[in-house]
Amino acid sequence: MSTLIEVRGLEKSFGEQLVLKGVDFTAAAGTVTVLLGPSGSGKTTVLRSMNVLETPESGLVRISDASIDFGDPPADKSAYRRAVRALRARSGMVFQSHNLFPHKTVLGNLIEGPVQVQKRDPEEAAAAARELLAQVGLAGREDAYPSQLSGGQQQRVGIARALALKPEVLLLDEPTSALDPELVGEVLAVIRDLAAENWTLVIVTHEVRFARDVADQALFLDGGVVAERGGAEVLTDPREERTQRFLSRVLDAG
Amino acid sequence: MRVHLTRPMLLLALLWVVLLGSAAQASAADDAAPQVVRVGTEGTYPPFTYRDPKTDELAGFDIDVMKAVGEEAGWQVEFVEAPFDSLFPALDSKRIDVIANQVTINPDREARYLFSTPYTFSHGVIVTAKETDDITTLADLDGRTTAQTASSNWAEVARDAGADVKYVQDFGPGVELLTQGRVDAIVNDNIAVLDYLATSGTKDVKIAGDAGDEVLEQALAFRQGDPELQQQADEALKALADDGTLAKISKRYFDADVTVKEGSKDVKVKGSDARTRWEVIKDTAPKMLGGLIEGTIPLTIVSFVIGLALAVLAALARLSSIRPLDWIARAFISVIRGTPLLVQLFLIFYGLGQIGIKLDPYVAAAIAFSLNVGGYAAEIVRASVLSVPRGQYEAATVVGMEYWQSMRRIVFPQAARIAVPPLSNTLLSLIKDTSLASLILVPELFHEANIAAALSTEFLPLYALAALYYWVVCYLVTLAQAPLERRLSRHMA
Repeated sequence: MSTLIEVRGLEKSFGEQLVLKGVDFTAAAGTVTVLLGPSGSGKTTVLRSMNVLETPESGLVRISDASIDFGDPPADKSAYRRAVRALRARSGMVFQSHNLFPHKTVLGNLIEGPVQVQKRDPEEAAAAARELLAQVGLAGREDAYPSQLSGGQQQRVGIARALALKPEVLLLDEPTSALDPELVGEVLAVIRDLAAENWTLVIVTHEVRFARDVADQALFLDGGVVAERGGAEVLTDPREERTQRFLSRVLDAG
Repeated sequence: MRVHLTRPMLLLALLWVVLLGSAAQASAADDAAPQVVRVGTEGTYPPFTYRDPKTDELAGFDIDVMKAVGEEAGWQVEFVEAPFDSLFPALDSKRIDVIANQVTINPDREARYLFSTPYTFSHGVIVTAKETDDITTLADLDGRTTAQTASSNWAEVARDAGADVKYVQDFGPGVELLTQGRVDAIVNDNIAVLDYLATSGTKDVKIAGDAGDEVLEQALAFRQGDPELQQQADEALKALADDGTLAKISKRYFDADVTVKEGSKDVKVKGSDARTRWEVIKDTAPKMLGGLIEGTIPLTIVSFVIGLALAVLAALARLSSIRPLDWIARAFISVIRGTPLLVQLFLIFYGLGQIGIKLDPYVAAAIAFSLNVGGYAAEIVRASVLSVPRGQYEAATVVGMEYWQSMRRIVFPQAARIAVPPLSNTLLSLIKDTSLASLILVPELFHEANIAAALSTEFLPLYALAALYYWVVCYLVTLAQAPLERRLSRHMA
């Protein structure tokens, strides 16, 4: 399998505080990468660097054929903007708090990017959007507004919105953390389906049991570095002590 | 947030160039033959210069003299109406070429302006309330209050006599202050006073005595740089005096020849407005409506639209990570909010006129009001944009939108809901503030009310009517606000 994602030497600070101290990983197409770690470990920052919602000071991000070397970015401003646009176009993002557009219907949320940015035919985009809605179990809800949906339904629309852009990679930033416990399952089920369909996923999550089931690769971040990495076994049988401590804490709480 | 202001900035710049350009073009045309002479006059000072209540045309002694002079000198005369205190700034800023408004010659004015030979000789009188019996001479004014027009020479006469001078816009409001007991006396031209007494039929005020023995001379005022015009006027006045035209005009208005010395002693005045109160209101109501439709409303709409565009740019500049943009926007907002609107209006209209930027009154008013709305609404827009969760902007970014696209399609529609109530306040203020444009020659609602009130002295009904018009418009705006808010809040959690 070919390497679809490459992250190398990522460094990022907020003010004085260095939050990423050189993060590296690669991911093959069709695999699920799970980022775990205590809060402040930098896992969300890694994810947000992959579509330049955060701009790292140095390091490289490549998705498919688009890449930016943040330590040595294109000097020309418009060339840099083009590179950012290209990198963003390779991924879709699911936010912790879904960030659906409240003034647009479910369908409007799904076709906003395809029609306004990708300039696809509205009819075709709407048809594709309806299929996606069926896929996330929300067939027939296209005319609802986000405020009329439950939290779990909103997050499933959020996932469908990201998929509507036909990205090569889906980035999920704690997709169930803001949900009531009884709504978590329906969202995880949708993500499981995506994994089964061989989508390339990068997930930041605290749901360790779920992560064990879906992860091809697990990265444990602590203090801005990857403290431990490996397959799903990292989540059942960690070598590092801090990984063990974190997992027992999370599993006890869950 | 990243900011790319280039395209909208360019559009706005273009709009301004067009506005300024149209004004520049207008001034360029002034130099072309045949000679157009713009005459500044109050139009609210009967019987010298006023709107004839029957025809609504400018009429009066000064108007007739000016027309005769123009005809004699071969000028194409264009009258420009403005409050007396605005006439000299208008002359300085080359918006008008001559003042025909009973301008009394005095040393101060002679130092700054050129005067024609006098065409009126008058003397000052002291006007008091009917029951006042301790003011009969200038000496009695010491320590009393008088109401005067700021730049009139009578203000100076009163000040020199030791009076505490209150400034009013023209003679009529001054008499109103007098009858209401808010001032003790007014010093003014005997002819104007006689006309007022005849027109209003009031018995509440009286001529208490002469303001000194001095005979005052009134003449046409020109800029220092225009000796040719002054010379042509002098020649024309001499010809008109020789052939009896001036005397004829004077007799028509005053039953006496005030164009020669001592002539003003025998003046009899019929009164320039003999309409009843209801006739005045009936005549004025449609004119005020006209001013509302042609002046107030278009001025409001244009200023609000441009002002909002400015506000959005200023708000985004304030939110920009580019520091100089933030500074410029802060400075703009601070200056607009920290200076009176009237001062801004006068700066743009009269002030810029002195450095060669002569703007049409409408354009000057639209610029001033737009800047004002821009300054006040900028913080409203900024707060509204900030009220939209950052995640909305990020979501727009990750679906691939550029800055302006995400603002337009995602952020602004949500910010609008927050912005509507405070922005409708701004709009209501703007509607009312446009009345200030009457002071820079824009013929809007309040301007019409002022003209009619000065002539008829029916202050209470006319100003009440003006208030009613403003209130109705504002009320309609507030009616539209609620459905708009409901519409924008649909589906918002």
